[in-house]
Amino acid sequence: MIFTPQGGLRKNRMDWVLFFAVLILLAVGTVAVFSSVAALPQQARIIRVQFMAIPIGLTVFAAAWSLNYQIYQDQWKFVYGFLLLFLAGVLFWGVMDKGARSWYRLPFFSMQPSEFARVGLILVLANFLDKRIGRIRELKTVMGAFALCLPVFFLLIKQPDFSAILISFPVVLIMLFAAGASLFHLSIILGYAFISALFPILWTIIVLNPELLDSSLIAYFYHLSDSLWGAAAFVAGVAALAWLFRQLSVRLYANVSGIYFAGAALVLVFGFFSGVLMKNQMKEYQQKRLEVFLSPESDPRGAGYNLLQARIAIGSGGILGRGVFSGTQSRLGFVPERHTDFILAVVGEEMGFWGMLLVAVLYAVLMRRVMQCARLARDRFGYLVNCGIFGMFLVYFGINFGMVLGFAPVAGVPLPLLSYGGSNLVATLLALGITESIYARRYALV
Amino acid sequence: MIDRQIPQARLDFIWTLSYGLTLLFLLRLVNLQILNTAHFREIAEKNRTQIIAQSAPRGRIFSFDETAIATSKPSFSLIYFPGQLKTGAETDRMAGALSRQLGADYESIKSNIYRATTREKPVRLAENLPPKAMLRLSELKAVYPGVDIIVEARRYYPFGAYLSHLAGYIGKMDPKEWAARSTDKKYSMDSRIGKAGLEKMYERELKGRDGGIFLEVDSRGRLNRVLESRKWAPGSDIFLTVDSKAQAAAEEGLEKSISGKGAVVALDPRNGAVLAFVSMPDYDPNQFVVSGAEKDKLAPGEILPEFNVALQGSYPPGSIFKIITAAAILESGRVKPEETFFCPGYYDAGSRVFKCWEKKGHNKVDFITGLTRSCDVYFYNASQRAGALAIEKYARAFRLGQPSGIALPEEKNGNVFGPGTRAAKKSYWFIGDTLNLAIGQGETLMTPIQAAGMIAAVANGGVFYRPYYVDRIVRGDGQTISLGKPEIMSRVKLKESTWALIKAGLHNVVQGGTGYMARIEGAEMYAKTGTAQNPQGKDHAWFVAYATVDGKPSRVAVAVLVEHGLHGASAAAPIAKAVIEAVLRDDLAAKKRLPFVGPPAPGPEGRG
Repeated sequence: MIFTPQGGLRKNRMDWVLFFAVLILLAVGTVAVFSSVAALPQQARIIRVQFMAIPIGLTVFAAAWSLNYQIYQDQWKFVYGFLLLFLAGVLFWGVMDKGARSWYRLPFFSMQPSEFARVGLILVLANFLDKRIGRIRELKTVMGAFALCLPVFFLLIKQPDFSAILISFPVVLIMLFAAGASLFHLSIILGYAFISALFPILWTIIVLNPELLDSSLIAYFYHLSDSLWGAAAFVAGVAALAWLFRQLSVRLYANVSGIYFAGAALVLVFGFFSGVLMKNQMKEYQQKRLEVFLSPESDPRGAGYNLLQARIAIGSGGILGRGVFSGTQSRLGFVPERHTDFILAVVGEEMGFWGMLLVAVLYAVLMRRVMQCARLARDRFGYLVNCGIFGMFLVYFGINFGMVLGFAPVAGVPLPLLSYGGSNLVATLLALGITESIYARRYALV
Repeated sequence: MIDRQIPQARLDFIWTLSYGLTLLFLLRLVNLQILNTAHFREIAEKNRTQIIAQSAPRGRIFSFDETAIATSKPSFSLIYFPGQLKTGAETDRMAGALSRQLGADYESIKSNIYRATTREKPVRLAENLPPKAMLRLSELKAVYPGVDIIVEARRYYPFGAYLSHLAGYIGKMDPKEWAARSTDKKYSMDSRIGKAGLEKMYERELKGRDGGIFLEVDSRGRLNRVLESRKWAPGSDIFLTVDSKAQAAAEEGLEKSISGKGAVVALDPRNGAVLAFVSMPDYDPNQFVVSGAEKDKLAPGEILPEFNVALQGSYPPGSIFKIITAAAILESGRVKPEETFFCPGYYDAGSRVFKCWEKKGHNKVDFITGLTRSCDVYFYNASQRAGALAIEKYARAFRLGQPSGIALPEEKNGNVFGPGTRAAKKSYWFIGDTLNLAIGQGETLMTPIQAAGMIAAVANGGVFYRPYYVDRIVRGDGQTISLGKPEIMSRVKLKESTWALIKAGLHNVVQGGTGYMARIEGAEMYAKTGTAQNPQGKDHAWFVAYATVDGKPSRVAVAVLVEHGLHGASAAAPIAKAVIEAVLRDDLAAKKRLPFVGPPAPGPEGRG
């Protein structure tokens, strides 16, 4: 669907479909948040914040819409610098809450810089990729993109705010993909990410099934990470294997470049070490979440409880739902984090299948419109920014729905526009305002 | 379009990905919300509701004159809702305070509270709390959130052991009993059921419909609100045929007897209604109502006296059997009533000498005197003429060897002994057996209720009614179901002259014979004493009697057995007299104004 100008140069300044999709999602979300907090002690504060965040968010949306987005590309250094300072500042002046220093406490409200960092990172990265589009297929460019993200990720880990990284990393990949990066490079990165995630999962499976340790090979593998010698043996083994395959391909006169073997070996080795690092760095609750995801029955009263109760809430909603403000599962506290990460459980229980269908369809429409805005953008920067925003929504949608419906482990990721959270709402509306700005300026004339 | 180098294919790939993801989630939602709604809704309901069952009052049990024998009284239970206490120290402190107030074991209270907390379900900390503990517990309720008191109905037997063998008792179900009732909505696992006697036989009627409080609780088990409070419906009341005064007289008399063990059964000869029913040793059924006390938790070495002497105690009938022998003798026609036998105090059976209980002998004895004095030698002689087979026949006719048919479990049959049973066992019958049979010794066994049936049959001219003890059942809605219908089990057909002679003999027993201690002013008493020889110890004392007033049909027949009572006349007769006096109290009071005329001739000290 390529935009064809009809009726001269008259055109909409606003993508109304996108705008109304956002408004309906906001309405559904506000109702669900009110219903879920009705029995909570902090009810008054949550309602106040929600009512404050919506006008602020819409104001930010309108401002971003009216501002020419090209200024972000022009002033990218300022954006990047501000982003880093904002994130660094929270480490000094932030407030500690639930083990993470990720909040600025201001006189009237609190602010979470990592939410805004997501949007800033998309802008900075889009500029970077736009500038180097001619050399996009070079490894240097891909590495450069990650080098640009590295300080941001580092500051996020310092807080620590893993869910922000969890969201941002796939967004970077999607932007690289949309910019036309080499599939080989992308698959190396994906492979690396896959292997570093695979090792902790394998170890968790072994922990869950101790009888596997009876097999000496698996026991050897399990204890590889325990000592430096084991790790050295693993590296040597992988190197030898890569060399062996390389020799094999030479003997067979296969026309395979040696760099693939070296790359594969490096991915394996680095993936392994990242996996070990991740396993050792993982907090106990994160380890538990992984275990529960892999085997929900292992702990039905403990960590598996959240997932199970959310599923019961959604299932008990049926087609029509139990009525707003009448869901027993969420109102009586069986669904945890019901106004934030598990807001979908409240929607599913109280508004039923129709409510869930509405939310899912509105999200699909929203993503589709953002993608459409990307196609129509007047320049490559606008295109890349919209791809990043699309990627952000896709990741949120996939992880949050996946978590609530039992496809993904509990990740602590909210659903933008529905979940309660002032900073998240304002940052999301900022991103959508930028999308609208790109849409409004899709031709040179304004 | 400006050259923006947009890779179209890649763009198409990502948004297809987003649509694919949406589709996958919608399919999952269809599965969860449309196909499995019922399943999840059930779990959600179970999640939020807790039911505290409130046991309904069981139906009450009344005597015929409407004295309550088993009733219910309010009882208070202490309930704990978990979730409000946060720290272990706080929980321990509460457990300490509660155990002091309840006088209960600290550890068990604590483990109950922890169980409630981990299972997130309310538990009963204590049941059947005394009212005087309530005030202090109400104060605790204010200090420790989560503690609450509910009212339930609890079984109460006002007279304790009174009528316990008929009324029975209730208790918690054992696993087998629960398995049989687990599908019944009226029962929950901690329901109490009738374990013995009436409580067991009429469980269906006595059991009310339990009420319950349906609570909505939150995820931590805290009470949110009361959804529904369902009122209980009490069970049906049962009115017995038992006369409370006669019962009291029987209980008291037996308790004060030499051994305090034995049985009293009083029947109405006109219909078989049970007027008094005592079996001792007995027990206080209240002890099983109190929380935790179960049969297997009695003090070590203590066994529950569940053995019902009146139904299950089989004893040699001794001389009361002579009523049956007398019937056989007269019916055979081989002995004339006025024919006399000489009693020297013994009887020579050739190989062995059989003694009369009276060593001095009775001289010349005819039928009436034989029965009155209970002369063994008369019956030795007469029974040989009549034949052992005839006696066995009449023993069966008087329902020995058959249950009386009363609706109580595990009744014993007694034992018939005679040439017929011997032949069945392919054994021999000796002359000595005939003599033993004639005076009710040997292998003949009789239960007290059989003895009562026998004397009642004499009183009413040979009709055996099925003894019944439930007169009517009054349902919760006021509807009365009458059950007191006489049912004839069998009849003994004797010639009128035979009945008259036997009655004359039995009348003489009281007037001048072995049973003179049972005389009642204003009533005509007919009775027979008996002694059951007991090789293990002292002999058991029997006494059977009935009475008429002014020639009207007799209203009461009673059988008394006092274990180790030695003499029927001294041990058992006063009890029978007290019971009959209690039953006939109105008639006797009316007659009191008339002068009593009768021969108060002192009879010989009776035995046998």
